[in-house]
Amino acid sequence: MNNETSQRTGSARHRVVVTGIGIASPLGVDEKIVWKNLIEGKTGIGPIRAIDTSALKVRNGAEVPEGLAEARLKSMGRRPSDRALDLAVVSAQDALLNAKLISQEQESVPQDVSVIYGTGVGSAESHYKSMQAMFEKGPQRARPTAVPRCMYNAISAGISLQFNLTGANHMVVSACTSATNAIGTAYRMVRDGYAQTALTGGSDGFFDPFFYPVWNNIGVLSKIEDPIEACRPFAADREGTILGEGAGTLILETLESARSRGVPIRGEVLGYGESSDATHLTNPSSEGQAKAMRMALNEAGVSPQDIGHINAHGTATHGNDACESKSIHSVFGDAAADVPVVANKSYFGHTLGASGALECISAFLALEHGISPPNLNIENPDPECRINMVGLEPVPIDSRPVMKNSFGFGGGNGVLVLGPSE
Amino acid sequence: MSDISKEKEIIGQLRGILEESSTKEPDWDNFGRNSTIESLGLDSLTILDLLYDIEEEIGVHLEAKEVLNITTLGELVDLLIKNGA
Repeated sequence: MNNETSQRTGSARHRVVVTGIGIASPLGVDEKIVWKNLIEGKTGIGPIRAIDTSALKVRNGAEVPEGLAEARLKSMGRRPSDRALDLAVVSAQDALLNAKLISQEQESVPQDVSVIYGTGVGSAESHYKSMQAMFEKGPQRARPTAVPRCMYNAISAGISLQFNLTGANHMVVSACTSATNAIGTAYRMVRDGYAQTALTGGSDGFFDPFFYPVWNNIGVLSKIEDPIEACRPFAADREGTILGEGAGTLILETLESARSRGVPIRGEVLGYGESSDATHLTNPSSEGQAKAMRMALNEAGVSPQDIGHINAHGTATHGNDACESKSIHSVFGDAAADVPVVANKSYFGHTLGASGALECISAFLALEHGISPPNLNIENPDPECRINMVGLEPVPIDSRPVMKNSFGFGGGNGVLVLGPSE
Repeated sequence: MSDISKEKEIIGQLRGILEESSTKEPDWDNFGRNSTIESLGLDSLTILDLLYDIEEEIGVHLEAKEVLNITTLGELVDLLIKNGA
């Protein structure tokens, strides 16, 4: 494809493969280290460093290890600007390197790449700093660049500017479903010929003195003090979720493009479904979730029995996990008792608009290695959920497709069906 | 204060501002009068933030149009001294 057009290329549908993965997460900013930590059952959750939490009920969070993202930014000639943007740029660089679209010598991408990225909160740090300046100095003394820094699409624009990506460029904003919706949207663009290559995923970074205390007040965070024990998806003794920051980036491209470039294929996006509950702003609906799951299966052309394992949304709140398990039963029927389920938020925390991307990457790594990471804190699976949670040890998995669920405040549901490289 | 020491003081203040607010990593080893505006990671947008910080830290108000044609840090220092820094 030349650099001058992003018009649709023909009417045939393309197979959409993953050729690049990049991750900036509480488990590390290198996919090999992230995978090692997942398999060894090491959580990224700990006491929050970024802000003073002494007056808060919940003091745990999952932060990207100190200095890692900063060092990577420095190597790019950048300085920290906004946490969500910074983490997105770091993971985007790794994904582009992994896909061989850039190299250490060639930092600018030589072909059209669309950026379709997700975030739940957006440029939280920029918003907080701008508001802080306004309250301290008055609105007439607001920093001039507050406007472009606070835009949601400051993240996708920042990625585009850093790597000279000249295809479509926009954000998908749907709370905790953002990254999965972004990946699904990018997948459809590539599948249907509107883009040959897309950089997609999600990012959120919000450990500031406004956003995190507000989440303390909404009552869904786990008050368990031990950070290792705090997040317990689908366990009978779960007490809530734990927030995390991070970014995950995937490069999607047509199978023809990947083959012509001769780059390794990491996996394939087989199908996508999305729906809206239209019932409540924060309470989930199993009907809406099941609808998205069925759509994704249908688009992938597979049945529930074809799914090798489920990478659940699994927030570890009472209501969400109960609803998701009900949705799984609704779609999978008797097979729900057998299909293994893994939930990654006990590792990454709930990274909101990045969670779908980090968990898709985890799913692709599991397919590549043929192993599912263990579920942490699942000593007492909730008998009411009646699903087959992977236990405290890693287990072999086959190469059948993975269902990746994401559900968000606002009632948005996004489900992807992911396949192995071949 | 001599012109030279005044100039050194302003360059130090500008470095302090850029250390806080720049989104790019300037070439600090060669930071001085001959540093180009571009090498400091400033463009037509981010220089607005620099003017904001200069007014906060140095107390001199510069209009954006006054700095549009400036290409080096030295020219900016001269403009600041001319405007009472």
